[in-house]
Amino acid sequence: MGKFEVPEIDYTRYTNRQLAAVPLAVLAFALCILAGGYVVYGTPVALGMDFAGGTELQIETTDSEADIEAAFSEEPESVQAVQAADNQYLVQFPPTEDDMAEQAESNLAPVDEDEGVVLQSAETSASFGEGAQQTALLGLGAAFAGMSILAFVLFRSFIPSIAIVASAFSDLVIPLAFMNIANIPLSLGTVAGLLLIIGYSVDSDILLNNHILRRGGDFYESTHRAMQTGVTMTVTSMAAMLVMAISAWIFGVELLMSIGLILFVGLAADLMNTYMLNLSLLRWYKFEGIAR
Amino acid sequence: MSPVDFIKANWRVLLLAVFISFSLFFMFYPGQVIGGDDEAGFSENQTEDDTFHNIQFGLGLDGGTQISAPVIGMTVENIELDLDDPEDLEEEAQSIQDTIGDELGTETGDLLVRTDAEHLEISVEVFTDDYTAAEFAEAIQAAGLEVSEDDVRDGVTAETRDDMETTIESRINEAGLSGTSVSQAEMDGTFYIVTEAPDMTDDELRDLLEDRGVVEIVLHYPDGEGGQLNETGLEQPDMGDIGSPSIDSETGQHYVPVSVNPGAAEDYEALMQETGFTQNPGSCNYDASDAEGSNYCLLTMVDGEVIDAHGINPDLAQSMDTGDWSSSGNFRMMTPSQEEAQTLAINLQAGELRAPLNFDEAQSYTISPALADQFKNYSLIIGALAILTVSGMVYLRYGDRRVALPLILTALSEVLILLGIAALLRMPLDLSHVAGFIAVVGTGVDDLIIIADEVLDDGEVNSRRVFESRFRKAFWIIGAAAATTIIAMSPLAVLSLGDLRGFAIITILGVLIGVLITRPAYGDILRRLMTDK
Repeated sequence: MGKFEVPEIDYTRYTNRQLAAVPLAVLAFALCILAGGYVVYGTPVALGMDFAGGTELQIETTDSEADIEAAFSEEPESVQAVQAADNQYLVQFPPTEDDMAEQAESNLAPVDEDEGVVLQSAETSASFGEGAQQTALLGLGAAFAGMSILAFVLFRSFIPSIAIVASAFSDLVIPLAFMNIANIPLSLGTVAGLLLIIGYSVDSDILLNNHILRRGGDFYESTHRAMQTGVTMTVTSMAAMLVMAISAWIFGVELLMSIGLILFVGLAADLMNTYMLNLSLLRWYKFEGIAR
Repeated sequence: MSPVDFIKANWRVLLLAVFISFSLFFMFYPGQVIGGDDEAGFSENQTEDDTFHNIQFGLGLDGGTQISAPVIGMTVENIELDLDDPEDLEEEAQSIQDTIGDELGTETGDLLVRTDAEHLEISVEVFTDDYTAAEFAEAIQAAGLEVSEDDVRDGVTAETRDDMETTIESRINEAGLSGTSVSQAEMDGTFYIVTEAPDMTDDELRDLLEDRGVVEIVLHYPDGEGGQLNETGLEQPDMGDIGSPSIDSETGQHYVPVSVNPGAAEDYEALMQETGFTQNPGSCNYDASDAEGSNYCLLTMVDGEVIDAHGINPDLAQSMDTGDWSSSGNFRMMTPSQEEAQTLAINLQAGELRAPLNFDEAQSYTISPALADQFKNYSLIIGALAILTVSGMVYLRYGDRRVALPLILTALSEVLILLGIAALLRMPLDLSHVAGFIAVVGTGVDDLIIIADEVLDDGEVNSRRVFESRFRKAFWIIGAAAATTIIAMSPLAVLSLGDLRGFAIITILGVLIGVLITRPAYGDILRRLMTDK
């Protein structure tokens, strides 16, 4: 088995402009995607059932997917087989007045006569979803604001703090754009994932800032040390989240799948943002900013 | 080494050991752990009789139904009254309620005026969506109060919501269901009543919540001109003791025995005499067209619907006629079936649901016990896989068991301590909590890696002083990172965003335990392992 080593990057070969250009371009691209989503759908990311309202059923039936599609008065938005269990499906509907669970029970054949067809049902009215949406926005906003204030309190100077805030912002925007492209709707689970990104991603930024600003020694030496630790951290978390996302997808546990997936993407974005965007800002600050 | 020195040198590890032992105790000590209210204990007996641990599972991992629904109604609050004598407040409020009621034509129980004796203020609520805000404001103006349409807000007062919470709770208790919880949640300015019931399907819980349960006995008697009149005789507050549903062995009639409160009993008796009921026992042929104009029926009504119509029993008629009945006030409320007698008894015991719930704007979630059980196993597997992955990565990175093994054990002990706390607090665990556990392992490992790198920096740690200084450096980063995670998660812990509250609470708790207890201990363990060699 090979050993996992953090590679040493020769940062002297790149200018600050070059370093910052890549993450900024990715960020700009992500923002464009979100803006496009806003223009086309009215929201930057498609809203899932938790926020737009609708019904989701997990059913167990011997009927085929085509039968399931035809079994309801309302056409399902999606029918998706659960990987780990035979005959189980997740079926989603837009908001409706009708009782979908009842229709499933009466129109589909159960696997076991004693048990019903519907294993799990979640029904959210449009207005409830609207409320949840406002609350989630408020929560995300408050979390981000709180984190930003804390960053300023911790480092008490503008550039290093703004570096943390900018990279956290990008860490949030990139997974959102990814959701848009991969057609993952915003759900309670993904919001939880986004909030965790704020918590997780700041770790490596703080580590980097701390090593460069609060300790003596050569800039590149400090950077390398911070990277040794920080990249190990982030890659370990990414691996755990990927495993969690895949296994949860196989078992059909949506909440855990969305948290895992969003964090995986967010942490990947964080690697780039921390060691390119944040680093270039810090290098500028250390060599030119302070001198001014 | 003296014991004091030993403790001084190893306090971090000792503290961790203490926490782990306590957690194990809380998790596995059979029976009830410290504290806890009776209700929760009851649910535990019901659902987790044969488990070997004290951990409770929530809806998502145990099966059941949750419904969150807003309340139907409109409210005007803080209307000041200009009273000469504060004693008149109640009386004035009653007359205002009557005026508004007449103006709007509300049915029994759809209108309520609450008084605030301290500020001499009243609030007016209407529990139906049959009227517009303008109509409501006009009706209040008709009672001589200065209120505009803008003062009317959707929803009901906090008192009404608390009232409803109590009613739903007692309804569920009356129905013999356990482990249920009722709470309120505010989202974007709207208040929701959240009812959680294990062992119940969506339809069952809906049935229980749907009925207002406004119970009345209505007198249905001839108006003397060939028609019939209806008059309310008894209402729920008039009844004292409510018996259990019974059946009359002679007639086979189902009923709920009640005793009418003194005062109300006299009024009722007088009314029965005035209307001629006591002279016409057994002459009820409800809804038959040829009996129109000659019916003497007692109607058992629930939410404005007639569930039973009966003539008065000759014996009862006689004892009412002589005025003897009111001293005992015993009365039978008739129902057509055993089931309805049961529902009626529950409605009488629990009282009416002050306002109806709006199921059109609700959210509901149901999961079958079988699937919930599967989820339990799945989350164990997913959690185990995540931890295995982390362990593998850490081992790959350090290639040194002395660093990697305690690191993983420390991360696991955080989960263990969290489970202990959950068992102690009887926190019902759900999928969202599982997500929280995994997040805690994630942040935990991050911090442990920081400590390991910092402590192992530049070769051997050969003195205590060097270790302490390096540890402090590491701790600054960990503390800062923990603070951000806590700040990022705290909005979720406060806002009522469904499942996510549990996730946030576990993550915050886990980070706190990690930073204060387990992660420092790991530093100590690492120092021993690295210096003692």
